[in-house]
Amino acid sequence: MEKDTVHQDGKTPEALAITDHKVLVANRGEIAMRIMRACHGLGIPFTALYTAEDSASCHCDLARELGGEHCLYRVSSYHDANEIMSVADASECTAVHPGYGFFAEDFRFARRVTKRDRKMIFIGPSWKIIRELGDKINTKRLARSLGVPTVPGSDRPIYDEAEAEHIAKSIFEFQESQGITHPLVLVKASAGGGGMGIEEVYDPDQFRSVYRRIRNYALRQFKDEGVLIEQRIKDFNHLEVQIISDRSGKHPVHFGTRNCSIQSTGRQKRIEVAPGFAPETLDYSFDAAKVLTNIVEYSLTMATKVGYDNVGTWEWIVTRAGEPFLMEVNTRIQVENGVSGCIAHVAGRGSVDLIAEQIRLGLGEEIGYTQAEIATEGVGLEYRIIAEDPANNFIPWVGKIERFHWKDQPWLTMLTHVPTDRPYEIPTEFDPNLALAIIWGKNLEETKERGKIFLDSIVLEGQNASGEALRSNIEFLKTNTDQILHF
Amino acid sequence: MIDNNIEKRIVALQERLIYLKDIFAGKHADDSDLLQDRLASFSRKLRSDEVSDPYTDIASMEDLFSYVESKLDSSVTAMDRVRIVRHPQRICLRDILENVYDTFTEVGGQDEYSLDPSILIARAVITRHRGKKTYHQPVMVIGQEKGHGAEFRNGGSVKPWGNAKAMQFMRVAETEGIPIHCYVCTPGSFPIEDYPGAAQQIARNIYGMAGLRVPIIAIISEGGSGGAEAISLADKRIMLSHGYYSVISPEGAAAIEGHLKEGERASSELIEHCAENLHITAKDNLGFGYIDQIIQEPPLGARPWHFEFFRTLRQEVIRATDEVIISTRALPLLKTLAQNRHARPTANLEHLYIHWGLSAGARSRLVALRQKKFLRLSRSAASDKRPMYNKVMELLSSYITKPWNSFKYDFYRKHQRKIQTFVEEIDNEWETFKYRLLSPWRKFKHGIEKKNNAKGEALMALSEWTKDSRRKKWNYLSPRYKIDKTLTCPNSAEYGCLDLWGPDLFGEFAGVCSYCGYHFPMEPEWYVRNVFDKDSVIEFNSEIEAGNPLSFPNFDERIRKAQEKNGTRSGCMTFEARIAGIKIIVAMFMGTFRGGSVGAAEGCKFVEAAERATKNRYPFLAYVHGTAGMRIQEGTHALIQMPRCTVAVRRYIEAGGLYVVLYDTNSFAGPVASFLGCSPYQFAVRSSNIGFAGPGVIKETTGMDIPPRYHRSTEALARGHIQGIWDRRQIRANLKQALRTIGGRNLYYR
Repeated sequence: MEKDTVHQDGKTPEALAITDHKVLVANRGEIAMRIMRACHGLGIPFTALYTAEDSASCHCDLARELGGEHCLYRVSSYHDANEIMSVADASECTAVHPGYGFFAEDFRFARRVTKRDRKMIFIGPSWKIIRELGDKINTKRLARSLGVPTVPGSDRPIYDEAEAEHIAKSIFEFQESQGITHPLVLVKASAGGGGMGIEEVYDPDQFRSVYRRIRNYALRQFKDEGVLIEQRIKDFNHLEVQIISDRSGKHPVHFGTRNCSIQSTGRQKRIEVAPGFAPETLDYSFDAAKVLTNIVEYSLTMATKVGYDNVGTWEWIVTRAGEPFLMEVNTRIQVENGVSGCIAHVAGRGSVDLIAEQIRLGLGEEIGYTQAEIATEGVGLEYRIIAEDPANNFIPWVGKIERFHWKDQPWLTMLTHVPTDRPYEIPTEFDPNLALAIIWGKNLEETKERGKIFLDSIVLEGQNASGEALRSNIEFLKTNTDQILHF
Repeated sequence: MIDNNIEKRIVALQERLIYLKDIFAGKHADDSDLLQDRLASFSRKLRSDEVSDPYTDIASMEDLFSYVESKLDSSVTAMDRVRIVRHPQRICLRDILENVYDTFTEVGGQDEYSLDPSILIARAVITRHRGKKTYHQPVMVIGQEKGHGAEFRNGGSVKPWGNAKAMQFMRVAETEGIPIHCYVCTPGSFPIEDYPGAAQQIARNIYGMAGLRVPIIAIISEGGSGGAEAISLADKRIMLSHGYYSVISPEGAAAIEGHLKEGERASSELIEHCAENLHITAKDNLGFGYIDQIIQEPPLGARPWHFEFFRTLRQEVIRATDEVIISTRALPLLKTLAQNRHARPTANLEHLYIHWGLSAGARSRLVALRQKKFLRLSRSAASDKRPMYNKVMELLSSYITKPWNSFKYDFYRKHQRKIQTFVEEIDNEWETFKYRLLSPWRKFKHGIEKKNNAKGEALMALSEWTKDSRRKKWNYLSPRYKIDKTLTCPNSAEYGCLDLWGPDLFGEFAGVCSYCGYHFPMEPEWYVRNVFDKDSVIEFNSEIEAGNPLSFPNFDERIRKAQEKNGTRSGCMTFEARIAGIKIIVAMFMGTFRGGSVGAAEGCKFVEAAERATKNRYPFLAYVHGTAGMRIQEGTHALIQMPRCTVAVRRYIEAGGLYVVLYDTNSFAGPVASFLGCSPYQFAVRSSNIGFAGPGVIKETTGMDIPPRYHRSTEALARGHIQGIWDRRQIRANLKQALRTIGGRNLYYR
């Protein structure tokens, strides 16, 4: 239960100087470590959390190292907002950093942080923006109102069967006119999400039965029978634009593009590259440089329109014909922010820590530089190293890691909460990421080469309860390295 | 050797002494001691042969008893009456059947071999003579049987199926066209929820009796609350002078007044105090107008040996039946003549024969008279502070709107439909003709459209969407949404729900737990503002105020506090509103006003609302934000609302309306067992409880431990009491659907 406590000096959190703040790191693992390091670098004290299952994670060690024994609180779950608020109150935090996952895109959590009696700052966009852009229909309509291209199809829930059929028919005809041989239409519950209540239609005659099934499902599940009907694009690259802005929301800048097309079968990213395409070195069937410029411009237009006031990522799909369509906006810091940071320079200073920028701007500092002062150099690459079996549908492997080391390189940043000096039991409660390896090279060739050198140097061994050896995706990453930025 | 006859008479006197002691429960000890001493010394003397003339002495002994009984009769208190009717020596229905009727046959079981031995149904016959002719007049006698304390009779506390049996045989009587005599001898119905539920069955009975097309006479000895109402909606209600008729047993009232917790017992002083202040006697109820007549019992109440009393009772039930029959006569002259003849106290009804069958017209008049009789009751018990001007205007306007509505809906609409069908047919033909005529042009136009492939653009352009109201979902938020506080869901132990943050819960979530769907109670205001079209709510009759018609001690203050706290003058708000443009009349019972209890004012407003809905052909919704039952501090003024409001509902439904009931939070007792429970369309909001008596009362009265979730709406749904359970956030959509699709052949918008 919360207590009504007033701020130590009676000031609202916005009025505090940046170093007078105390940040609650409401996350775990690698991202918690990056946030703690960023806070430490900015001279801001922090409080960290862990759960019983996570007590062996290196983020606990780092918290003790940087913040002392008292900055670490044990909670029963990272998902319980009540506990997080209690810790914040007990440790007198003035701001909360949600990291990614958990509460990062939960506008209610953000609203609670900023609207409770003892107000704090939510380090992320303001809750209204999270709500605004967290709604797919809303985002799509906003994009369309600004002339930003979105996936062909409906931009509002369809309740009428005749109208639904008409839209589906148009989408099939449109794809045929585009020369697509196996046109597909996607029917999804407008109130749904996370892959629930979504189905593909490959045959116009089949549409009606699928539509009714989804509609009934939506009514049962979400109490709203609205349905969205869209083109299902199969052959595409996944690109994203990194946006960053201060609290004024007036001067959003971008930190370039990323390409995240190499994914697991379950559409989870495995390799991310910045920038999004390499038109200088590779051949594309379309004007790749123009596509990159366009999506950056579109993203900035939308960010300016909504007054976007922290870090965020605009996700795009680019078809083989070179058409970009806005997919969604991630109103949070992303796992792969490091690849953009490693190729960026601000006013001549090398490699930017976007998390530190997020905290600095989130706490109310002005951005202090313009788009013109941001430059990029080289190609950045990120591997997500995961104990899983890519040959077998990427099933996560669970067990104990016994040996984990790699060769350090000046061009390599390794981000991991997995200890290298002791065995580590992988907790089953959380997402299975073990480490992020960020590699920089001056061009695509060098980056690929260095990537392979790194992957060859890594040792990741262990076994599970029945004595089977650890499975990892290192081979998968290696074979796919050659493919990066190709379309 | 003592004479056997004397011995018997001594035993009888001993019984009378026990009875006297029992009913006064320790009071008047000097009188009873005197009688005891005298009786003891008399029998001592008798046994030692010291009495010379035992017949004279026993007679004077009996005289003494009668004298003392007569003397004490004037000091019988309300609580003494309760003890009188509950005493095993009290006359029971079988005594009445044997002594009042000429022959009888028990139907639907016999003695303990019965579906429910606490209710007794018999085909009885009254034989009358006129001249040399003999007439056998059959009646259906229905009543609770207490059976002089026989355990299997359950004290006259009837189970749901017992009441169902009563209803079944009332229907039989209706089919056969014979009058019904109901003898009410019950402390209350047995509060169990087995199919169809105590409340639901009582509601069905009351609803059924409100339109039963044969004369019904009710004779009340022990009129305990809902159980009494189940068989007492009658054309004539007669009360025995030593009986009681009450909204709740004095013990129950004392438990509520004393704020007793489970297992505690109220003091006898408090019970006496409640009995007195509930005004439960025959005289009180005659004064209120809830009964038509009192039959005087012998001193200290009728017992099976009071044969003179049975003769009086016979006379009076015959008179009552005759009077009801006469009142339905169409010709005023014959009616007056017959009424005058019967009114004479000297009239010997055994020789005044009146045929008890009714013509079709007379049956309709009978039902109309009965309904009007109940609608008229208890008006003065509610304090009606509507300005005189309003009332007059309303009356005047009803003179105009009534015939106008009747012309508009009954005559015009019917013919309009015919015209419409004709026009539609012509229109169809014309369209077909036009289609053929224009088909070359269409082909040409279509060809052009195909060439400009604008499809892609259309699929990516912003569409028109006017109805995007997802952001601003609620017009009204509970004031609790401003409080920075976390709340624990009652299901958290079971489902692991995390604590909810008040501002989320009472704002956006509409009081629904986002983990398990539990519905936290919301303010009545929430429904008024969020269910109906914005700014469409117009309240009426807000000036009818809840009061304290019985001058129950300290109750004025409590009512005033409730009014201040709730910001309304009574526990029922009646208003006109729209849902998606459809006008609707709503009666809302607010759980925040004295637990949502229903008294005379609430009943009055409900009846007015039903009448307004009837007049305008609007659908009628009873939204029960919560109700704890009838307001006990108003006594029978509250109890009478059960039949009264049910009559109003029946009239509304039969006029072709759509009556929907929606239960929320907790709905119990009287209202559920009458005007709410009789709706064919009852729904519940999730997490609500519906039932007849709460767990504490069930334990107290039956000694049973009830299973968990006994009163949950899901149980009511499984039992068939309600038709569906609605999510609070879906009420508006569901009502919209209901208004368009169910019931009501005579609604203005159809």
